[in-house]
Amino acid sequence: MTERPSIFMRTLSTPIILIMVLVFFLALAALVNSGPFNQVVIDAMVKVTLVVGLYVFIGNSGVISFGHIGFTCLGAYATAWLTIPPMMKKMSLPGLPDLILETKLPFGVAIVLGGLFAALFALVVGKILMRLSGIAASIATFAMLAVINTVYSNWERVTGATSSVVGIPIVRVVWPYFLVAAAAILIAHLYSISRSGLALRAARDEAIAASASGVDIGRERLTAFVISAFIAGLGGALSAHSVGVVTPDTFYLNLTFICLSMLVVGGMNSLSGAVMGVVVLSVIIQVLRQFEKGVDIGGSILAIPNGLQEITIGIVMVVILIARPSGLTRNTEIVWRGWPFKRVSAAAES
Amino acid sequence: MSLLTIDNISVNYGRLTALRNASLTLAKGETFFVTGPNGAGKSTLLKAIAGVVAPKSGTIHFANTDIGGRTPEDIARLGFSMVPEGRHVFGSLTIEENLRLGVGMRDDKDAAERELETIYSVFPMLKDRRYQTAGVLSGGQQQMLVIGRALMANPQLIAIDEPSLGLAPKVIDDVYAVLLKLRDTRGLTLLIVEQSSTRATMTGGRMILLRGGEIVLEGDARELTKGDALKAAYFGYGEHH
Amino acid sequence: MTALLQILFDALSLGSLYALGAIGIALIFGVMRLVNFAHGDYISFCVFALLWPSIDAAAIVFAGQLPAYLLIPIILATGACLSMLSEILVFRRFRNANPATMMIASFALGFVIKYTLLMLFSSRPKSIDLWSELALPVEILDARIPLLQVITIIITVLILAALVAFLKRTRFGLEMRAAAENFTMARMLGVRANAVILLAFAISGMLAASIGLILVTQTGTVDIQMGSSVMLVAFIATVIGGLGSLPGAVVAGFLIGGISVLMQVILPLDVRPFRDAFVYGAVIVVLIWRPNGLFAPRSAKQRV
Repeated sequence: MTERPSIFMRTLSTPIILIMVLVFFLALAALVNSGPFNQVVIDAMVKVTLVVGLYVFIGNSGVISFGHIGFTCLGAYATAWLTIPPMMKKMSLPGLPDLILETKLPFGVAIVLGGLFAALFALVVGKILMRLSGIAASIATFAMLAVINTVYSNWERVTGATSSVVGIPIVRVVWPYFLVAAAAILIAHLYSISRSGLALRAARDEAIAASASGVDIGRERLTAFVISAFIAGLGGALSAHSVGVVTPDTFYLNLTFICLSMLVVGGMNSLSGAVMGVVVLSVIIQVLRQFEKGVDIGGSILAIPNGLQEITIGIVMVVILIARPSGLTRNTEIVWRGWPFKRVSAAAES
Repeated sequence: MSLLTIDNISVNYGRLTALRNASLTLAKGETFFVTGPNGAGKSTLLKAIAGVVAPKSGTIHFANTDIGGRTPEDIARLGFSMVPEGRHVFGSLTIEENLRLGVGMRDDKDAAERELETIYSVFPMLKDRRYQTAGVLSGGQQQMLVIGRALMANPQLIAIDEPSLGLAPKVIDDVYAVLLKLRDTRGLTLLIVEQSSTRATMTGGRMILLRGGEIVLEGDARELTKGDALKAAYFGYGEHH
Repeated sequence: MTALLQILFDALSLGSLYALGAIGIALIFGVMRLVNFAHGDYISFCVFALLWPSIDAAAIVFAGQLPAYLLIPIILATGACLSMLSEILVFRRFRNANPATMMIASFALGFVIKYTLLMLFSSRPKSIDLWSELALPVEILDARIPLLQVITIIITVLILAALVAFLKRTRFGLEMRAAAENFTMARMLGVRANAVILLAFAISGMLAASIGLILVTQTGTVDIQMGSSVMLVAFIATVIGGLGSLPGAVVAGFLIGGISVLMQVILPLDVRPFRDAFVYGAVIVVLIWRPNGLFAPRSAKQRV
């Protein structure tokens, strides 16, 4: 009897397919081809990173976290602290420790440090928060986000308070963002097929049975919390380098709900859902934005009034959820099992 | 003319078939037992009649109306009262409030008041505590409360899921005594789910045995318990699946 | 003594707003297990209903020019209608969905409402003069308390009393309480699901409208984001109070109001801007101490 390939080999197709989807998205954007689209693609890659990070925690633990954008904020400011030229830093953020004031690190190193900073924060805070379950945990994560936002909006000497912190080196090429997004997908995937991820999902579905089987729910949740914080922090750092400016309110409620929506609409419990949610909604938003600017159809210009784009995307989300309450991917992962693509229940994979 | 006719219904929970090709008829005034081991589909049968779950196929007629797919509140208004498993009293409401809930469907408010007095006379211990919250009652008292509550609407058919669960034998005797008295005085039709067939034998009436979602035995309760057919059906002697 | 009194009234009036918001959310959560993130946008919508659609900075008050006895019922009705409409058009489709889906659906609805307002009115806050005479202070035991604060507290108490009377004394109130505790069992007793839910939404909408009126009178501005800050605290208060418990929501609302004002007073000056961080920190502490909320209701059990 032939030996069954390891779970890594069996499920490898999922992250590969998802990364191909990203490539396809990039190719599509390149076809439509103009300067502004770079920004769109970069933004989409950043969102993929953020939403994948969100999935690592929410999808595996079943706890809805409103706080992950707090990690994004931490990562963004961390990379700002590390990459802004020292002269500017000394003027605008005098409260920083001297070591940081003098440093200027390359982009690649800084973003990883940003992710690690967020992960460290998650480790400390998570020890407290992961004792909670369900809705209490969700509200606690929201409180965490609010604390981060309040502190960053007021600590003038270190974060510039509500004024924008400028001077972050802007990275305008697409490939670093794509690489990070792809890495995020890979990390998320490896985590979910790992022992820890499996144990956490067991606890998500049947807490008592899992506990009785020896799963330390608190510890597994903390692991997911920390890993997801790292990815979210990484995404935040990326976002900082995409616009060159950070303010605390960019990383607060609006972004939280946009990312949560993309995750739930895509399918909360699956990695494919995270990616598809971002891709599908980003495409729709872009199409709508084009319509707002005016689209040339057979010679006449069709344009929709301003503001209608957001209203439409809201309606689209509701419609998708009515039709597919568990999300576009119906909480399954996309897997290659011959041609064409087949959907396999995430449970069957483990 | 039968009060309840179930014709070949099947009920699924997701991919699990909980009930398969079940049919039965109930005439007015009958006492009918549904027995069988755990997970056989007894509760599912009652939930299907009550409208809490919708049958995937088949029809259910109650009081000459097709109730398939109707909402629980509509079915209740046709004269069907359901007492689900677990004695679901409204713990934050008083006993009297619990009872009064069943009344909303009655058009004649005076009759409703009289009904309340009647229920209190049948369950005197409820009257003593009428203004206390229902959460403080004992198991047996809660069972009396939910039965009384179901009766407030003056139903034609009352379906009770596992009235004996978690109660001491003496208490179960009391509960059944009340049920039978009501049957005799009001012509109430009883549909009772019990895990053990003992009560069915003691009470008399018709009985079906469910196993694995299917009806495997049907007949008069006392007749069935005499032979081996019941044991065989219950434990699946001689069957290999 | 005067300072203490002023602090007390500050806390009570802030707590009143939070309590009203929390009840609006708790009511709907009780019957539907839905956290309605659109609630803050209901508040904003009701407030904008006072104006004639325009993007000018100075609001052209439309309905706002009506006398109080007409204005108040109209705004309350607006809130109720918007709320009921959202149930009929949106939430009804999600009756059996999982909590995350319902939450995102409510957020998307709020999003739509917010951007509709944006389209009609632009995002600039507008100034409006609504009953500004109420901002004048009143003397109570030597302390000068803004009249509006006193009125806010009185109105909140009245609303709470009316709500309690409704829930405890009326048929509909009884059905609502039963439905909140065990929805399916209530239906089996003939309680009409749709009617009860619609009623919960109507009341919730009216509560949102009241909050809107109070906010406008307090701040003299009309702004799309108005409902959000109250909504967020209300959401937290509902959970801290014990999801599904109305008394809990009220208590928690006043508690957060109290803590907020207290922090403002006792924190040293340079830490004061971080007041909100302390309040949210206190929230986390409360949650760790009582994860199910202060008044976890008996319905935390299994439902039929």
